[in-house]
Formats: sequence, C-alpha cells, structure tokens
Amino acid sequence: MLLDILRLSLRNIRHRGLRSWLTVIGILIGTAAVVALISVGQGLQRTIARRVEQIVGYNTILVTARGLNLGQRIRLDVEALRAIPGVKSAIAVRTETAYVEGPGGKGFLAVLGYDPAMAEFVTEMNLTVASGRALEAPGEVLLGSRTARVLGAEAGDTVRIEGRPFRVVGILQAQRAGGFATGGLSLLDLLVISLSELRQLFPGPELVHYAVVRLADRADMALVRERIRAHLSAVGERNAALTDFEDLTRNIQSVIRGVQAFLAGIAGIALLVGGVGVMNTMYTAVLERTREIGVLKAIGAKDSHVLLLFLFESGLMGLAGGALGLLTGLGVAWVATLVVSRVFEAQGAFAPALTAGLVFGSLLFAFAVGALSGLFPAIRAAKLPPVEALRYE
Amino acid sequence: MSAALVELQGVTKVYRLGEVEVPALRGVDLAVRPGDFLALMGPSGSGKSTLLHLLGLLDRPTAGRVLWEGADVTRLNGARLAELRGRRIGFVFQMFNLVPNLTALENVELPLVFLGVPWRERRQRARAVLERLGLGDRLRHRPNQLSGGQQQRVALARALVTDPALLLADEPTGNLDSATGREILALLAELNRQGRTIVLATHDPEAAAVAQARLRLRDGRIVEVA
Ligand SMILES: Nc1ncnc2c1ncn2[C@@H]1O[C@H](COP(=O)(O)OP(=O)(O)OP(=O)(O)O)[C@@H](O)[C@H]1O
Ligand SMILES: [Mg+2]
Repeated sequence: MLLDILRLSLRNIRHRGLRSWLTVIGILIGTAAVVALISVGQGLQRTIARRVEQIVGYNTILVTARGLNLGQRIRLDVEALRAIPGVKSAIAVRTETAYVEGPGGKGFLAVLGYDPAMAEFVTEMNLTVASGRALEAPGEVLLGSRTARVLGAEAGDTVRIEGRPFRVVGILQAQRAGGFATGGLSLLDLLVISLSELRQLFPGPELVHYAVVRLADRADMALVRERIRAHLSAVGERNAALTDFEDLTRNIQSVIRGVQAFLAGIAGIALLVGGVGVMNTMYTAVLERTREIGVLKAIGAKDSHVLLLFLFESGLMGLAGGALGLLTGLGVAWVATLVVSRVFEAQGAFAPALTAGLVFGSLLFAFAVGALSGLFPAIRAAKLPPVEALRYE
Repeated sequence: MSAALVELQGVTKVYRLGEVEVPALRGVDLAVRPGDFLALMGPSGSGKSTLLHLLGLLDRPTAGRVLWEGADVTRLNGARLAELRGRRIGFVFQMFNLVPNLTALENVELPLVFLGVPWRERRQRARAVLERLGLGDRLRHRPNQLSGGQQQRVALARALVTDPALLLADEPTGNLDSATGREILALLAELNRQGRTIVLATHDPEAAAVAQARLRLRDGRIVEVA
C-alpha cells in the first residue's frame, strides 16, 4: 500500500509539471552549492595534507618561533640537533644581513647560508639557476635576479660580502611561489653562499628562521621532541615551538574546516530557501486539492494515508532536487578546481573529493528538507475534516 | 421488521460560523434497513447533504446517536470510521469527484488501495465493475476524456467496487442532462433490485420517484414520509 501511495504521489508531481520543476530547481540550487563547496573543501584538505606531507613528512619536526612565525629568528645549534639520538638528519635555515659590494652597486643585503641537505627537506630549496651553475666550491655565490641587478653583477663577476671576495657562479631562476621556505625572503632578493662560509662571516650565536628535524625510523616522536626542547632551553631559547606533521595538518585543516563550514552555512541558506519553495508548492497543492482530499477520505482513506501522500510528494521533489543538485554540484566543483589549479599553478594535484558520505549525505539531506518542508502542509491536509473538504469549492 | 443497517437517534447537527450557530439538523430519527431505497427530498439548505454525511460516518452529530449495525459509532476514532467507510459504504457525488490525474480504472481501484487489497485482485475487481456498468472500453481514459454520464458511472463503479452495504448518492443527477440522469437512476434502481441498500438525496421529483420511499426535509426536520 505504501508503494501505491508513492505512485500516487509521483503522479501528482508529474501532473503539476512546470510547478514541480521550479520547486525541484529550488532544492537543486541549494544542494548544488552545498555539494560543490564540500567537495572542493574536502579536495583542498586532501591536497594540502599531501603537500604538507611532501614538504614536511610524517616523521618530521619543524622548530620555529611561536605561532609558526618564520620571519622571527630563534637560537639553536643545528649540529647539536643532529647529535640527538633518534634524529636522522636536520637542517636550519639561516640568513644574515651583510654589506655587499658589486661591480655596479652596493648595499645591505640578505645572505642565505646554503646546505645541500636542505634540498632534500624543502622542495623550494632545490635551487635552480637561470644562468651559470650551482655552488660547488668555497668562495662561490649565487645571486637572486633582483640582487644581481642591484649589484650590477653577472656570472663570472666578483662581489665582496663583508669585505671578503666571492665569485658569482650563477643567477637564480625567478620563482613565483616562494618566500615561505626562506624565512619570508624571496629568492629574488637573496645572495646564497655555503652555510659554513656564512658562519665564518658571522661567528656570533646561531640565529635561524627555522629548523627541520627528520627522525630515524622507529624513533619515538615524543622522546625526540623532549630532547629538542631540552636543547632549546640549554641555549636559552624560550620563544621556540615544535610542530610535527600532525600538528601542522591539524592546524591547517581546522582553518579550512572553519571556512568551509561558514560557506556551507551560506549554501545551506540557499537550501532552506528551496525548502520554503517546497512548502509553498505543497500548501498550494493542499488548497487546490481540498475537495479531492475530502473524496479520498469519503472512500476510506485514513488521515495517515493522506499525510503520507503529501509527505511523499514533497520528499520526492526534495530527493529529485538532491540528485540533480548532487550532479550539478560535482560538475561545478570539477570546473572550479580546474580553474583554481590553473590560476595557482597547483600542478594538477588538486581534485574535488567524491565520497560516499557526500553522495548519500546530500541525497538524504535534500530528501529531509523536502519532507520536513512538506510536513506542515501534509498535516493540514490529513487533519482536514472530510465534510468541509467535500464542501470546498 | 429486520434490524437497521444504520440508525440515527435524536440527531442534531449545528454548524458554527464564528458567533452564529447554524442548525442543519434539529432532531432526526431515521432507520435505514437492508434493501431500502430512500430518497431525501427538500429545498436547498434543508439538511439533505448533512443527513447523508452522518449516515456515511463522514461527520459526527452535535447531539444524538448514530448506530451502525446496532453499535454506537459516535465515539469511534477517525481511523476506525475511515475503515468502516472504506469497507461498508460507497459514496457518489453531484460533481462526480474523480481524481483528475488517474485513469477510470485507477479511480475505481482507489478504495481497494486504502483497504490494502493486492494489486492483481484490485485490478480484476475494478475492471469487472466497470465492465458491468458498460465502461469496458474506457478503462484507460482520464476523467476529462469522459462525458458527464460516463464520469458518473465511473464514480458509481468506484462506490461499488468494495461491495458496500450502503450506497449514498448526493444529487447524482444534478450535473447531468435528463436523459443521462435517467440512465443513472435506472442503474440505481437495478442495483436496489439486486438487494443494494441506497439513500439518495435529490431535488428532482423524477429522481425521487425511483425510490421505494421518500422523506421530505424542511429546516433540518423530516416533515413527511411517503
Ligand atoms: N460547514 C458548514 N458551516 C456552516 N454551515 C453549514 C455547513 N455545512 C452546511 N451548513 C448549513 O447547514 C444547512 C444544511 O446544509 P445541507 O448542505 O445539508 O443542505 P442541502 O439540503 O444538502 O442543500 P442543497 O440542496 O443546496 O445541497 C444549510 O443552512 C447550510 O448553510
Ligand atoms: Mg446538498
């Protein structure tokens, strides 16, 4: 009998034609917006998790100033970190401001101490040169393209850093993204010399932007963190914080989730408006079919039959809007991620997420919005006294 | 004299229109016995439809009792009344009142749907009744593809498909031309000859003439039985 009532509901929906479609479109738009946002958001979360893993890695600890502030320096000795049991390797990114004289200009410029191990930790540190070659021997320097212009130098020239001569062997390729890994300085504006030479030039205390520590296999994360903290307090550094992969993803994810919840809330309002559309359609339907309701009751329909008849109608419209909205939303998400990938050159790694939870959740939600919006009209229909319904003109 | 199928005892019905009370029935005693064919007559507003609705358990009296096969049904809940209506009572209306987006066959099946009769049996019974009423070639037509007389015959089929103990007809010829109206009346007379209990409300003396007895209503009272 439920199935028969469902069939009747379907008939009535089809019978209303355009009006049913308009109602369904209301739900469709809301669902599509919600689905697109969630799908893009989940895709973004996944992409970021993967990127963070690529940059930092699961078994890695980041040592920075509090609040992940890479611009602020902290005091630590990377050699001491390397000596901690359970640490496989470690790097620290250090820059100093030096007085630099070139053939065509001079000034106070930032110098980065480079350690080949950095490249294996941080993709951005995989320095590529636009002209010339990489660092190979002591007494060599690479210039950022802007620095090269300031100093009026090119490959083969000599520049003096704090009075000591360095031979320019290459000019760095300009990178659009960047700055994050180099302590907030763009590669455009740097000079790069070997870390050991930077230490000779600036023999004072080691002040670094950040350090990355990689753990040996099966090392105990908590224990290593404890030892790093011990080192920091030994050198008198109170402002440092440790972040591992999980902390980092948790932080980033919670920001994304917050933004996503906000946007989904707005999209949810669109869905709510769709629900109001359903309610309006159903109230109109109850009014138009008052007489029919009376007839149904006269020939033996119970209140519950009438209730179900109208609930199924609104629920089915919700479900139809949900299904179409799901497809539309996934389409929108797909296009949006294509555009975003293009704009931010995210190398195609960014794809919208399609999970079973999203599919069934959105369908169920749309059905519920439809059925709930139809609840009051349906109750009104079910409660109509048969005699009054029959007299209704 | 056999026991009444449905009986009204001292029934009054008062409608309330805001402050104003509109008495539709003012103390009616009436027994409908199996095999009866009664015509309710009287001017507009005299209470014919109201009386019919009370006999059909579509409404509750303001005062008095309604007995169905000897049992007081005045206080039964809505679902039980709906079930009694579905199993034991058939209604035919002046406006035919078919469901517009269902075919003739589906309209006739509808009361059986609410009784939970399985699909195959439903279809068979609906088809049989429609064929008996001469509509075997109109099964798949929708109401708006049928003439008034045909629609009323579909409505009659819908009322009869449950094989009800009581058939109630409220001005069933009111929207038909006289020839078509006569066809419907002949059908009712034929049904009554086969033993069906019928109560008919009508303005039309010609319609009332086919009944076994005529009750005249005025201002909510039965003033004459002939
Ligand atoms: N729902 C209602 N609210 C208020 N008054 C009502 C209602 N239903 C019926 N009435 C009143 O009750 C009285 C009897 O109405 P009823 O419909 O039974 O008359 P009737 O004999 O069937 O008339 P007609 O021949 O026009 O169909 C009328 O005065 C009518 O106005
Ligand atoms: Mg009437």
